Amino acid sequence: MKESCVFIIIVNQPTHVSTSVCFYRKELMQCGVLNPEKDLYLGKLSLTKFPKSPETWIHRYVLSSQFVTLCDQLARIIYEEMKVCCDAACRYPSNYNAWSHRIWVLRHMAKGNIKVFHDELSSMRPWVSMHVSDHSGFHYRQFLLKELITELSQSPTNGDLSGAEAVSEKQQLIFSTVLQLFYREAELCSDLIQSFPGHETLWSHRRHVFYLWHQWKQHHCSSTDGDDTGDPAGPTGGSQEQSVNSQRHAGVPMEVDRGFLADPHDNKRLRRGALPSCPLTLETEHVFISSILDSCCNSEQRSFALAYRKWLDLVIGVQS
Amino acid sequence: MGSLDGLFMDSAQLKDVLIKADAPSSLLLDKHADYIAAYGSKKDDYEYTLSEYLRMSGIYWGLTVMDLMGQLHRMSRQEIVDFIKACQHECGGVSASIGHDPHLLYTLSAVQILCLYDSMEAIDVDKVVEYVKGLQQEDGSFAGDKWGEIDTRFSFCAVATLALLGKMDSINVDKAVEFVLSCMNFDGGFGCRPGSESHAGQIYCCTGFLSLTGQLHQLNADLLGWWLCERQLPSGGLNGRPEKLPDVCYSWWVLASLKIIGRIHWIDKAKLRRFILACQDEETGGFADRPGDMVDPFHTLFGIAGLSLLGDKQIKAVNPVLCMPEDILQRVGLQPDLLS
Repeated sequence: MKESCVFIIIVNQPTHVSTSVCFYRKELMQCGVLNPEKDLYLGKLSLTKFPKSPETWIHRYVLSSQFVTLCDQLARIIYEEMKVCCDAACRYPSNYNAWSHRIWVLRHMAKGNIKVFHDELSSMRPWVSMHVSDHSGFHYRQFLLKELITELSQSPTNGDLSGAEAVSEKQQLIFSTVLQLFYREAELCSDLIQSFPGHETLWSHRRHVFYLWHQWKQHHCSSTDGDDTGDPAGPTGGSQEQSVNSQRHAGVPMEVDRGFLADPHDNKRLRRGALPSCPLTLETEHVFISSILDSCCNSEQRSFALAYRKWLDLVIGVQS
Repeated sequence: MGSLDGLFMDSAQLKDVLIKADAPSSLLLDKHADYIAAYGSKKDDYEYTLSEYLRMSGIYWGLTVMDLMGQLHRMSRQEIVDFIKACQHECGGVSASIGHDPHLLYTLSAVQILCLYDSMEAIDVDKVVEYVKGLQQEDGSFAGDKWGEIDTRFSFCAVATLALLGKMDSINVDKAVEFVLSCMNFDGGFGCRPGSESHAGQIYCCTGFLSLTGQLHQLNADLLGWWLCERQLPSGGLNGRPEKLPDVCYSWWVLASLKIIGRIHWIDKAKLRRFILACQDEETGGFADRPGDMVDPFHTLFGIAGLSLLGDKQIKAVNPVLCMPEDILQRVGLQPDLLS
């Protein structure tokens, strides 16, 4: 019976038979006996022959509506999980399991959903500002940031038919969006470090943010050989590439920082002169550290600032 | 938590403890042996009953610390071996106690205990191997049990169990390594799953895993060593993550990891020893998580094991990968890699 339905749908004679058949299949789907995806495929086939067929379009509308319901359900589930994790995080400081679960939910249920990651980053801002010791909370921000910049950077520009100009515009938009994200994060971090001296979590966050920025710049500014690595997991495994005494980055801060300018394939960006300066350079970081050392009398703050300077020197590998 | 013996510093400043001047400063080995020997003798003790869900691990902690102190003979060998037999299920896995469900954690503990007692024949080893193998997922990770929780701790449990049984080749080691490496973070540390925060306990499991699978070269030892030695606080104690209080069990997780990667000299050993000794309870014996708190067998093992790693001659040498006496592993013929 199911097979003969399939035949009728493909042949799609606009008769009451085909309408009844679609109705019958919808009933089966509601009972969970049939999978809507198959009918969507059949409908696609049918439309190649009868592109206007109202029955086919109505059937398609009904099937797709189910996915909207699923999407709503998923959105609700994600929201619920975020809430449960947040409540648990409020009840116990640096709640590893709660935050770890929160990350898992987003990785598996909101993959590639820039809006969700962006909204989470925004909503977490006041929370972390009130929980400056919560290392897990700040790690969550690092995760969100990394997902966002990975997703943004993967926006396809290859094979984009709108022309080199439009591709370049798109790339520029991505760059400035990413820059803005890092600017805001660096700003938040600086504010909190200055307002709440002596919190290791905040300095640890700064290292993470700097490293993310550093990796992203390396990956997107120095890859001029046209090699599409498309590797979003670069920063994850990046520690393997960074040995403490690595000479890879020795003495080249300006080159890395001028990454945008160094791209020989895109002179239009140069000419436009709309290049933003980098939010986190080694120079600005050393200036920041000096300002903290000059102004603070909190001994922990001093030692964290010095440790950060040492980390910049040894891990990022540039002479101060 | 928070007795006067271990004063907390102002939480607006550093999270740490202050060690009082009269805190214990010498090793009270006899008191600890008496504490463990007596532990669990009153089977209707409240705390003992509540911890039934981890009994197998509790036995492993107690026996291991007694052996490290040269006091294993005081424990009831036959009773324990019979208990383990009764805890092996049809699937091959071992549960924490009779009537509980099997789990990788307690399967490892059981194998470690039987290794201590040289009594592996008490259980069906082939079934254990089958159980462990069956928990490996497509991405190389391991579930803890049939319900499927994924955690790098279970990767460690799996390879440690199989290494002790000499059956490492029954799993897909390459895939298992791939998964663990996917949990490595930019700071050189490891979390429980990909993307998770670095945590000293997870780091111990992952470095132990990489040692057992011969993959220590995949680590950035300097970077990880640095993260680990930044766990040391002014009190000398070690924490598991930034801005957490020190805890004696991290004297194990952090110290053992440093030993495995050849960077144990990066820690201030004298200060750590002082902290660990301060966690002893002079009256009851045993160690607590931090000075002044209630003691328990878990912290007692890791306090003693930590002191052993620091070179205390009154304690037997402990293996940093498996947390078992070195002489036991020599008998089994298991010498996991360490970085120099």
